[in-house]
Amino acid sequence: MKHTLLGVAFAAALAVPAFAQDYTIMAPANPGGGWDGTARAMQEVLQAEGIAPSVEVINVPGAGGTVGLAQFVADSAGDPTKLIVGGYVMVGAILTNASPVTLKDVTPIARLTGDTEAIVVPAASDIQTLGDLVEKLKADPGSVSWAGGSAGGTDHILVGLLAKAAGVDPTKINYVAFSGGGEAMAAILGNQVTAGVSSVGEFQEQVKAGTMRLLAVSSAERLEGIDAPTIKESGFDVVVENWRMVAAAPGLSDEQVAKITADMDKLNASAGWTKMLADRGWANTYLAGDAFATQLDADIAATDGVLRDIGLVK
Amino acid sequence: MESFSLLMQGLSTALEPMILFYALIGVTLGTAVGVLPGIGPALTVALLLPVTYGLDPAGSLIMFAGIYYGGMYGGSTTSILLNTPGESASIVTAIEGNQMARQGRGGPALATAAIGSFVAGLIATLLLAFLAPQVVKLALTLGPREYFALMVLAFVTVSATFGDSALRGLTSLFLGLALACVGIDGLTGAARLTYGVPQLMDGIETTTLAVALFAIGEALAVAAMLDPPDGMHRVKGSVKMTREDWRRSWKAWLRGTFIGFPIGSMPAGGADVASFLSYAAERKLTKHPEEFGHGAIEGVAGPEAANNAAAAGTLVPLLTLGLPTTATAAIMLAGFQQFGLQPGPLLFVMNAELVWGLIASLLIANVMLVVLNLPLIGLWIKLLSIPRPWLYGGILLFATLGTIGVNPSPVELGMLILFGVMGYGMRLYGYPVAPVVVGLILGPMAEQQLRRALSIAQGDWMTLVSTPVSAVLLGVSAVFLVVPMIMRLRGRGQVLSQVAGDAD
Amino acid sequence: MSEGFPLERRPRWAAFVIAAGLAGLAAMILWDASGLKQDGGYAGVGPADVPRIIAYGLLLLAGLTVISGLKGDLPRPPPQAPAPVLWIMGGLIGQLLLLHVAGFILSGAILFGMTARGFGQKPLWRNILVGFALAFVIYGIFDRLLKLNLPGGPLELLIFRG
Repeated sequence: MKHTLLGVAFAAALAVPAFAQDYTIMAPANPGGGWDGTARAMQEVLQAEGIAPSVEVINVPGAGGTVGLAQFVADSAGDPTKLIVGGYVMVGAILTNASPVTLKDVTPIARLTGDTEAIVVPAASDIQTLGDLVEKLKADPGSVSWAGGSAGGTDHILVGLLAKAAGVDPTKINYVAFSGGGEAMAAILGNQVTAGVSSVGEFQEQVKAGTMRLLAVSSAERLEGIDAPTIKESGFDVVVENWRMVAAAPGLSDEQVAKITADMDKLNASAGWTKMLADRGWANTYLAGDAFATQLDADIAATDGVLRDIGLVK
Repeated sequence: MESFSLLMQGLSTALEPMILFYALIGVTLGTAVGVLPGIGPALTVALLLPVTYGLDPAGSLIMFAGIYYGGMYGGSTTSILLNTPGESASIVTAIEGNQMARQGRGGPALATAAIGSFVAGLIATLLLAFLAPQVVKLALTLGPREYFALMVLAFVTVSATFGDSALRGLTSLFLGLALACVGIDGLTGAARLTYGVPQLMDGIETTTLAVALFAIGEALAVAAMLDPPDGMHRVKGSVKMTREDWRRSWKAWLRGTFIGFPIGSMPAGGADVASFLSYAAERKLTKHPEEFGHGAIEGVAGPEAANNAAAAGTLVPLLTLGLPTTATAAIMLAGFQQFGLQPGPLLFVMNAELVWGLIASLLIANVMLVVLNLPLIGLWIKLLSIPRPWLYGGILLFATLGTIGVNPSPVELGMLILFGVMGYGMRLYGYPVAPVVVGLILGPMAEQQLRRALSIAQGDWMTLVSTPVSAVLLGVSAVFLVVPMIMRLRGRGQVLSQVAGDAD
Repeated sequence: MSEGFPLERRPRWAAFVIAAGLAGLAAMILWDASGLKQDGGYAGVGPADVPRIIAYGLLLLAGLTVISGLKGDLPRPPPQAPAPVLWIMGGLIGQLLLLHVAGFILSGAILFGMTARGFGQKPLWRNILVGFALAFVIYGIFDRLLKLNLPGGPLELLIFRG
């Protein structure tokens, strides 16, 4: 038994070609989550398309990605082979956890994908439009229970922004945080809550099947193939996008940053990535360079504002 | 009967030799990795999933099914033989199973776990095939208040894992509850008991606590014994189950299945809760109460059936609604998407062939699992004849591997050591370790569901008994809690000794 | 786990230590809870409330433990050998300290070797050698084949990526 095991391992060791990793991508979350999915999708496509023959993914879970971010900044400074996946949720987590390390400490490379948020009600609800829902919210904020993801996450932020835009005190919203998308969805389907917030993708199949009613989406423009107005159209100036990005280590030279950006450009242009995004139902919102940096700054400022309004950041 | 013919079609595809071969590989890999202490099913599935990439859909699905059931099954082996459960759902298996192994009855314990898993897997997979839409409709009517009531019931019945002293059992449970407070509060985002350590913000990982208390605590306790009882663990008698074992096991398997499947189907259920309830049920219903805590076979048969049935139950919300309710299910979801399959309410309609192919694969994998594992029992038992220094060295290496692989931070390893020492200390003074893990799992569930229910009802406590299901569950809990007390107060003599066995 | 230990009806100092530990834990929780938001929002039950209840429970249990200690109602542990415990603890702490410096294989070899030594197997160097082989196999299978990221040190770099 032991001998066969040893044999297998040595064969394995020999079979693995010995070369350095081109990239090591950190997913600052547990296996199975969105960031982990993004990192592994990148790994697969980067390798399959020959952009980078050897890519490794490591998971450093904890505290909305801030544990991974801190470790990344500490361990990878100046190393052009190290990447980290992150997203909008991290912006909020850095603020609510008062993380000493922020996104200013890494080198943002590109925004890769984005999820639009959606507001839904159970099919059995008498609420037909976002206007109806906001009326109810204005009349008695406590009577509208919102199911969504973790406290201070994108879903919570959206509800806070909407309340503010509608002239309702954001600290008065009755937001019920659920752990994981599954449970929140079950609460909406089971008519346990008034409304639900999550990404459009999570709700899409339910809406198609007629078990939920989609009131509005959080994008700036209407989404193709989705029959629902934007929140903006409904009269409330709220646009939220739950984006995912890739960033590189701090302290890189301009050439190193340019090389990584070029690789990400190649990734984005590849057929494999297009297919991957279609399979997973992710929208391609690729944005690199200065344009991304500007958008990142704007998002951080807006998020800081709304988290203070909700009372999660003091 | 359309579904039936689709299932038959799926089964006939699955019976091709090549497909059967893939099933065998899947089951073998799943069992082999799942059996390692410290590596639970979620990690097993996450690690092995990439192995299925690149095969054709039929082959990939069946390997996948094999890995899933194999990983679920593998956890019980080390629980029973070495008292080192790799995941929360086989903790209660360790209580009776390890006692059986110590008495040289490791063979029958493994056999009842294997056959129980098979029976439960078979029935639960068939229920999944034919009742999934109905089951999920029922599950969806349950909201936070019903889950809170279920958690209360679980708390009340959890005393079954307490061992012989109620005081020490409760102390263990409260230690678990206290540990459960550590981390970000799920509802408000407030950091509790984290002292500014970011690694503590996500709370204490169940696997870390379970592995530390059981594997490391056990290793320390065994090593520190001055004169280890001679021949502990030595196999006596047959590795096969006796007629008596069969007679006592089959009802437990069925009960475990019917407890496990519905609880696994609930979006906030889970295999661990199912295994706790099944153990409590077996303890209440047994004709041999004196054997519990000392190697009662029902205490292995029930929970093992329950956690496998729950594993199949988890697929109900996953396949019918696209809701991943466990980490393992979330990883499976990513696996499905490689076939362009979007789990959701329309999945059964849109991707009927693939779904029935998966269900057929699960049935095949289940059979394969029992075929593979029954003969392996003899081999597993031999694990115990490895000299102790090598055996425990290996256990600790694997136990830390699980933690290192998932989260290699010094804080996590530090906690592993700290809780390991705690587990050793608890063993010295007769404090049971299982309730600590039970408290860590149930505590946050109960708290969050309570606060969600109250938040939705805007602070109205009557909401907790406002639906028949929640009222009945809470009522049953109250009966379980109060009746033994009254009996004790009234009886004090004969009645006390009579009920002491089954209602402590 | 506890059966078979003799119970002696004499005050047990260990019980008082345990009770003090429980009370200390309760105090920690209460102190932490006092710094949290007290407002329960619409639920009426805030983040500090459940920890408080648990802390009161711990205090009660601490009291009961003192009483049972006075009655001598705590199993008396069989005599323990401290050396094996120290060996194993040393192995675990060694692994913790060395993991990110020396990598998985060497730190694992030390854990294995010292654990085996704790169980009475000598000499230590041979234990570590066996541990090295095992950790090497584990690293090969899990890190290389299954892509579970295990911390690498100079050795892993030399053998697998050189």
